[in-house]
Amino acid sequence: MTEQLATMEFHPQPQPGTAKPWAFPAPERGTLPNGLTVLRCHRPGQQIVAVDVVLEAPLDTEPEGLDGVSTIMARAFTEGTDKHSAEEFAAELERCGATLDAHADHPGLRISLEVPVSRLPKGLALLADALRAPAFEDSEIKRLVRNRLDEIPHETANPARRAAKELYKQLFPAEARMSRPRQGSEETVANIDAAAVRAFYDAHVRPATATAVVVGDLEGADLDAMLGETLGEWTGNTAQPRSAAPVTADDTGRVFIVDRPGAVQTQLLIGRIGADRHDQVWPAQVLGTYCLGGTLTSRLDRVLREEKGYTYGVRAFGQVLRSASDGSGAAMLAISGSVDTPNTGPALDDLWKVLRTLAAEGLDDAERDVAVQNLVGVAPLRYETAAAVSSTLADQVEQELPDDFQAQLYRRLSETGTVEATAAVVNAFPEDRLVTVLVGDAEQIEEPVKALGIGEVTVVTG
Amino acid sequence: MPMGHTATAEAGSGGLTATEHRLANGLRVVLSEDHLTPVAAVCLWYDVGSRHEVKGRTGLAHLFEHLMFQGSQQVKDNGHFELVQGAGGSLNGTTSFERTNYFETMPAHQLELALWLEADRMGSLLTVLDDESMENQRSVVKNERRQRYDNVPYGTAFEKLFALAYPEGHPYHHTPIGSMADLDAATLEDAREFFRTYYAPNNAVLSVVGDIDPEQTLAWIEKYFGTIAAHDGKRLPRDGSLPEIIGEEKRMLVEAEVPSRALMAAYRLPHDGTRACDAADVALTVLGGGESSRLYNRLVRRDRTAVTAGFGMLRLSGAPSVGWLDVKTSHEAEVPDIEAAVDEELARFAEEGPTDEEMERAQAQLEREWLDRLGTVAGRADELCRYAVLFGDPQLALTAVGRVLSITADEVKEVAQARLRPDNRAVLVYEPIAPEQAPDAPDTDVNDAAEIEVQEEEAAK
Repeated sequence: MTEQLATMEFHPQPQPGTAKPWAFPAPERGTLPNGLTVLRCHRPGQQIVAVDVVLEAPLDTEPEGLDGVSTIMARAFTEGTDKHSAEEFAAELERCGATLDAHADHPGLRISLEVPVSRLPKGLALLADALRAPAFEDSEIKRLVRNRLDEIPHETANPARRAAKELYKQLFPAEARMSRPRQGSEETVANIDAAAVRAFYDAHVRPATATAVVVGDLEGADLDAMLGETLGEWTGNTAQPRSAAPVTADDTGRVFIVDRPGAVQTQLLIGRIGADRHDQVWPAQVLGTYCLGGTLTSRLDRVLREEKGYTYGVRAFGQVLRSASDGSGAAMLAISGSVDTPNTGPALDDLWKVLRTLAAEGLDDAERDVAVQNLVGVAPLRYETAAAVSSTLADQVEQELPDDFQAQLYRRLSETGTVEATAAVVNAFPEDRLVTVLVGDAEQIEEPVKALGIGEVTVVTG
Repeated sequence: MPMGHTATAEAGSGGLTATEHRLANGLRVVLSEDHLTPVAAVCLWYDVGSRHEVKGRTGLAHLFEHLMFQGSQQVKDNGHFELVQGAGGSLNGTTSFERTNYFETMPAHQLELALWLEADRMGSLLTVLDDESMENQRSVVKNERRQRYDNVPYGTAFEKLFALAYPEGHPYHHTPIGSMADLDAATLEDAREFFRTYYAPNNAVLSVVGDIDPEQTLAWIEKYFGTIAAHDGKRLPRDGSLPEIIGEEKRMLVEAEVPSRALMAAYRLPHDGTRACDAADVALTVLGGGESSRLYNRLVRRDRTAVTAGFGMLRLSGAPSVGWLDVKTSHEAEVPDIEAAVDEELARFAEEGPTDEEMERAQAQLEREWLDRLGTVAGRADELCRYAVLFGDPQLALTAVGRVLSITADEVKEVAQARLRPDNRAVLVYEPIAPEQAPDAPDTDVNDAAEIEVQEEEAAK
């Protein structure tokens, strides 16, 4: 049954015009008298200024039994200062159209302010108050602890969150902080009080080990004066340099099913750890991982979604967990998505076939070329806003990378060949060194998964 | 090609301008120059959404949106994604109640490719659309439904609330994702018929925003879209008009395997495009937008009965808009206590109206949201299409923030009194039950449930 509707005049596919030069912006680096490192970057036209503050407070410095204290502290920064109560502080922020978010992760704590440039002085003042003189009032901390305890069942009920929790637990040694939830468990969060938050603050929060990144349309803004009156007023002692133990993991191929009777889909998360941005292989790993599962035209979705219809989408990615110039860091390399329950076995079978085919035959030049064109070509789109630039610059600081890392990454991606990308992705996702977590209906999926031979299968509950 | 030119910036538009054009086949075009970054956004809105669907075929507009990515006469299967991504662009498509949109953000020198691709599928999709694509995307969309609605806690709340708030047979009674049974029932001929009815140049608006040469851009648009035939077979959606007030409280108790109790409600609000709608937006922001709002302060900070509490708003132009209340309880807190507190706060607000300081805060937040939306070329392209399709005038996008800032406290009080009342809402209460009792496993994210896309957004780092 052919349609005769297409009566339009067809033209050949157009060729691109001449690319205009674009480079990832280079920040200007400086230090305030109080020791705070400042990176600034003028982005014409960006009326919403982004400020990211990186604090050196890694999760593995949380005291024993107090997992989550860094998260509670991060949230408490916006719950009152020496000038404002918690309610007043929230009102002041919203009055200048600002948002202030803070979160604690393995490498440290990040506070992100976004504010219209016209209200930057006020926004910076509130940020500085939060860092310099947080109230950590007893009643507010109690509320935040209770609130955090309330969140945990919601996370457990969410298949994607539940899968991540199980993967970290199984992958990392039990004594490693990384094996446990970033924001703490019911047992540890319940132990947190205002004194514990204050002690963590005293131990880790000081300008000398912090960096502020400021990005936006700064023309006409006297940023030095603004910073001097705000973050410049923040004082603190100095700290000993610290070093972290290398990240290790057990990636023996095995499967954990988190039982969800009656689930209509199986959430899958398949991962291990591998090279981070300090490793020379990083650009090749980025490129190869994109070819494997970066988008719906990548190898995984070409089969699992566009041929078989098993899923709305499966992605492969590399996400830095912690990274340092001494090479002690690592990235999580993983494949995630969800597939319908009856097709869980066939979908995993196809997934492993994709990995085996990739290992046996490698990538081809055409897919490498498309991947490079995408990864490099999208940079001007991806970094249109000040917040995107600021967040990447802050990542670089946190991971002890040079300020021009991202700019150089685009050059390195362009220079990476098909053979290198193949080697990197095959090393990143070896078919027998992957820990698989499935959140789904064990009664229906256990036998089909066992039959695949991708490792010993254990069913867990909760 | 008559030009309704507007080349000078209007007051309150932040210096942004847009020009309007119309091809002979009825395709409306909006162009807006911005040379700060070498990128260009293409956005195409078709004036068709889930409100145009008929009984037994819910979800068809969204399923069809997926088929638009399955190739056309000169573009192979998935070629649309491959070519755009290979050119360093990003793309997606989304379906909501009132429209379907398709968009590409490209490096500026690749703009012509995006226009060629959109024209090819607008003019020739049916030459290649086949059963294989239909069956495959039917499975993908059913998995999308499972992933985003059926397999997450509270996932079907949005669907349930709309079914309560809009009467049976109303075009907004069902949500864009549609039902599994209807997704199963859709045929290839339904899809073809849908395309023939709604996918025509005279039922679409194309906007191009960014680092563009308007004359060249318009010439490309004429070249690629100009020979696509117009057709006028479009059926109007069923009438969406309803009384201003529901007139009674609709209520549903859901016993399900969810992590905590929840109180959700949908209030019937004025249509988008009216001052009263903007006033309602300010009212909901004062009451439930952010962490200094009245409900957050009351329920989360003071009573400590809730873990989250807030209001969202879904603006609709073809039916009354919706104010969406979402409260998840803390620990053992009981829904009736929370409901009493909510009612008390709403009544007090209707009585007193907002304070000056609350007006300042709410308007600063709403202004910031607009700055965010208009701050990227893709966001601006989408807003220009929205105002062109729904209100016939794209210029309104550039002045929208000024209208929100001109709302007075009296207008806010007035809309709160008229609309935020118990007899003007549908209420959904969740009561958790143990897993073995659960008939099925519901799950949801209500905030973006009104808009569903062809693929999940992923950023490559």
